[in-house]
Amino acid sequence: MSDRSNGGKRPRWRSIRVWHRYLGGSAALCVLILAITGIPLNHTEPLELDSRYIQSNWILDRYGIQAPQAPPSYRAGDHRVTLMGDNLYLGRRKIEGIYRQLGGAVLFRELLVIAVGDNLLLLTPQGEVIERLGGAGGVPGGIKRIGIESAEGRLVVDSSAGRYHSDANFLHWRRRADKAGSAIEWAVPTPLEATLKVALDNQFRGAILPVERVLLDLHSGRFFGSAGPWIMDAAAVALLMLAISGSWTWFKRRG
Amino acid sequence: MLSISRTVLLLLLFPGLLLAGGVYQEPEDFLAEVFNGEVPEAQVIWLTGPRKEVVKELLGHHYPSLRVRYWRQGQRTTWILEEIGKTEPITTGFVIKEGRIETVKVLVFRESRGWEIRHAFFTDQFHQASLNERHQLDRTIDGISGATLSVRALKKLAAMALYLDQQVRQQDV
Repeated sequence: MSDRSNGGKRPRWRSIRVWHRYLGGSAALCVLILAITGIPLNHTEPLELDSRYIQSNWILDRYGIQAPQAPPSYRAGDHRVTLMGDNLYLGRRKIEGIYRQLGGAVLFRELLVIAVGDNLLLLTPQGEVIERLGGAGGVPGGIKRIGIESAEGRLVVDSSAGRYHSDANFLHWRRRADKAGSAIEWAVPTPLEATLKVALDNQFRGAILPVERVLLDLHSGRFFGSAGPWIMDAAAVALLMLAISGSWTWFKRRG
Repeated sequence: MLSISRTVLLLLLFPGLLLAGGVYQEPEDFLAEVFNGEVPEAQVIWLTGPRKEVVKELLGHHYPSLRVRYWRQGQRTTWILEEIGKTEPITTGFVIKEGRIETVKVLVFRESRGWEIRHAFFTDQFHQASLNERHQLDRTIDGISGATLSVRALKKLAAMALYLDQQVRQQDV
């Protein structure tokens, strides 16, 4: 009876059913994204989403994550020491800790001595940190460069307070009065080999963007650009209307 | 003028901005203060073998270096140690006399939260603390809400400093 109550036109509940269908179809993709991203986001800690990182170059490019173009890098004996952002690498191995301002690296009595900021980092050739020496360890502040004195094989630090050399255990530092012509082989930066650069670029970029961040951005729509959140909002409104139109249709068909 | 007013308003609203993290005392100044300007020669203790494992147990991870520097005068040892609170290392000085903590001083605090641990109301709790046979502090240290990770880091470092002091004094025997 209600089918014919509006003068032979299509009954209202049927047209609502058609709208319901269109709304459902158009919101389906967004609902899928919301559901697929929402479930893991509810279990971030057990899934360790905040400590797993995106490796996909496409996604990293989309986020504008780039490795430094010409990172400071030094060769010390057969070893290569490079600073990328706050990460220090010995060859391809990341050295534990946060580092800034790489000022040089030399091989000194089978140990690697690396100037980072106002500290000297002592490493085994395998990359284990022996010690990080700072002002309290007698290391002069304002390190400009480091080098090895050719005659006696001493480690020399050129600092804003002058030139100093250390004993073999790095416990005592003495000021030097270098005469002209004193042969000191200073550490000088050299360009990174192309293959190592690519490997370090990938390693550096692959440790920046947590999976959780991307899932959150997919969930909110921000991953798809500035229109993304509006599309997700529209999907949310569509879901609301689906609930209303579905209930309406069900109610009318029962009536 | 407007920016000065804004700054004053910010400081009135958030006095914590005046007190937040940074370098409170340079490590070398701390040493000079502890030893009244006559800092003894530094010595080193290697974290190898069982010692390395005990330190790992105390911290929950390996200490990020294979040797640790200390300064000693009689039965008094001084240590400058670092431990990460949340993301950045907290540099802390410890003075230990005859196996008990004499002084704890936060020297450099690099995190954005938890800097309250530098204050005496917190660090005084460590005064005269020692290690029990299970390598734990012999007393409870009350935490600070909002500074849980920093408090935890300082407790770990205190235990480590006491343990290393024990190791140094055992070498005398």
